[in-house]
Amino acid sequence: MSWESTISNALAGKAAGLVVDAAPAAMDNEEFAAFYARSARPLWAYLARVSRDPALADDLTQESYVRFLCATGPEEGEVAARRYLFKIATNLLRDHWRRPQPASLEEMPEDRFAARCGTAQTETQVMLGPALAQMRPRDRQLLWLAYAEGYSHREIAEVTGLGTASIRLLLFRARRKMAQLLRKEGGA
Amino acid sequence: MTAFGCVRENEVMELLRQGYWPDACPEELRGHVERCRICSDLVLVTATLKGERKEAMPLARLEAPGALWWRAQLRRRNAAIEKMARPILGAEVFALAMALVFAAAVLVWQAGNWSEWIWDLPRALHLDTLFSPGTMMWVAIPVLATIALISGVVAYMVSEKQ
Repeated sequence: MSWESTISNALAGKAAGLVVDAAPAAMDNEEFAAFYARSARPLWAYLARVSRDPALADDLTQESYVRFLCATGPEEGEVAARRYLFKIATNLLRDHWRRPQPASLEEMPEDRFAARCGTAQTETQVMLGPALAQMRPRDRQLLWLAYAEGYSHREIAEVTGLGTASIRLLLFRARRKMAQLLRKEGGA
Repeated sequence: MTAFGCVRENEVMELLRQGYWPDACPEELRGHVERCRICSDLVLVTATLKGERKEAMPLARLEAPGALWWRAQLRRRNAAIEKMARPILGAEVFALAMALVFAAAVLVWQAGNWSEWIWDLPRALHLDTLFSPGTMMWVAIPVLATIALISGVVAYMVSEKQ
């Protein structure tokens, strides 16, 4: 194979070996659109509620899907693909938390505030309650995956990278704390 | 009930997952949930989070799937090109290393003959036919320096353009 044909094939995205490495579960454009329609809103809700930042959730949702399409995806069907997508999103969220955050309001990008002004009231109504806001990010993550998404301990371990044995204990503690906060909120 | 769970927790969880709680569940189990702290926590947290999920989903401002597909295609192509360029870069580095080794070997080999080489250069380049022997070095040195300078600039500009 000549260099010219190799390069032109690569530009068309069909160089030998590269398609196999890159195609996630052999999903074509239409299949992806259908999968996206079914999975994007739950993924966004997860990211928005765990990060408590809808703008960040917008960005991370998009990036999750782009990485999902670029990666070698699971081949066991939609459930596994969705779990894999949540795993990518969880890793992106973790990377975001690890990065140094702006220290003051002045350092925050202005569009972070401007873009959401019109919807602030609606979002305040439906945003995570004060109880969930008081939880640690990892606890929010575990609670959301377990009780909003309905994932089993094994699936949560796969998504978060934590040990299956520790999930049970972490979830138990997080659930107890959240229930206490919810009751306190309800009583107040 | 144990320290970290209740024996009926999975039963309650399954009813919640299937949407049977509270209407389609046995009266006895509802009584248990009222008395059991662990199961009542489970019901409270699950109901809250499922409600949050339901309310949050319509708020998502989603990009068109076609745009994401296109971005992924671009990223894959760039990755493919980068992957292909890696061996070429390796070959270039290898060639440069070989050239440097060869040059170093020549330098060592000819270490004692440099002055002879330099004085013999005008004759080797046939410059003695163009200039008189007295002015030869004064012309040859600036000309060679200018050629070297221009070559360097051209090489730099070509590499920048690439």
